[in-house]
Amino acid sequence: MSYLGYVVGAYAVFVGLLVVDAIGSRLRLRRALQVARQRQQRQDARRSAATGPLELER
Amino acid sequence: MQPIVRWFHQLGSPPTFDRFARRWSRLFLIASLPVLALGLWQALFVVPADYQQGDSFRILFVHVPSAWMSLFVFALMALYAAIALIWKIKICEVLAMACAPIGAGFTAVTLLTGSIWGRPMWGTWWDWDPRLTTELILLFLYFGVIGLYMAIEDRRNAARAAGLLAIVGVALLPVIRYSVDWWGSLHQGQTIRLFGPTTLDASMQLPLWLMVIGTKLWFVGSLLAKARADNLQREAGKDWVQRQLGGAP
Repeated sequence: MSYLGYVVGAYAVFVGLLVVDAIGSRLRLRRALQVARQRQQRQDARRSAATGPLELER
Repeated sequence: MQPIVRWFHQLGSPPTFDRFARRWSRLFLIASLPVLALGLWQALFVVPADYQQGDSFRILFVHVPSAWMSLFVFALMALYAAIALIWKIKICEVLAMACAPIGAGFTAVTLLTGSIWGRPMWGTWWDWDPRLTTELILLFLYFGVIGLYMAIEDRRNAARAAGLLAIVGVALLPVIRYSVDWWGSLHQGQTIRLFGPTTLDASMQLPLWLMVIGTKLWFVGSLLAKARADNLQREAGKDWVQRQLGGAP
């Protein structure tokens, strides 16, 4: 009896987990950095609005 | 204070941990690849077929390391959760919660590869055998920890609640470990021992240990990467994150 299909299936599951795990970690990190950047941009925009010219230019 | 103790204390600080995780997560992941590749190659092409099970026994080279990881990661998650609860170390909360998805993945692989092996050997994909059932309960516990952590909005409260579940869940680990001894089980008993005689043939031990070391290295790299992401998300408004954003990959 050939077990090739079972062996290939089991190894595919294992390698699949590692690939999904690696991609998941990368996406999670990218998202965290993106959120932090967006937050920084909002803070910068708020700061520049607060320290902008008080008088309207003529 | 001793340098190692001081370094350990410093690692509890989110910016120090971020720098540490940034450097070491990639190194551990890269280091795991040749070890895993060598282990897989040995397991698939070098080790001779088993005289009873034929080539189907090769599945055990991915099943056994995954099963060990499923138990090890849960124990580590509970340990981090206990440290976080007792000493209120934020990074330990982050690390405990980063363990959960990796552990759940390894538990799922254990069940799936065991099922794939069981079909030709036992003649069935699944049996409500004590070892299989307790491993399935472990997967549900992992899902419980992940679900609880996601369900509560406040990250610290979420980590505490999920950590408590992890600590309680540790009671399942000896049940899984000794299930084959306590109850009549289809699953085979212990064949590999760290301290004591191993009944596994010597030719099969090298690929197995390579796979065990490879999965451990992978786990450390993946844990640091996930914990770093969670740490950055929690600390997004802090000055150190703003300072690091320029140089981050």
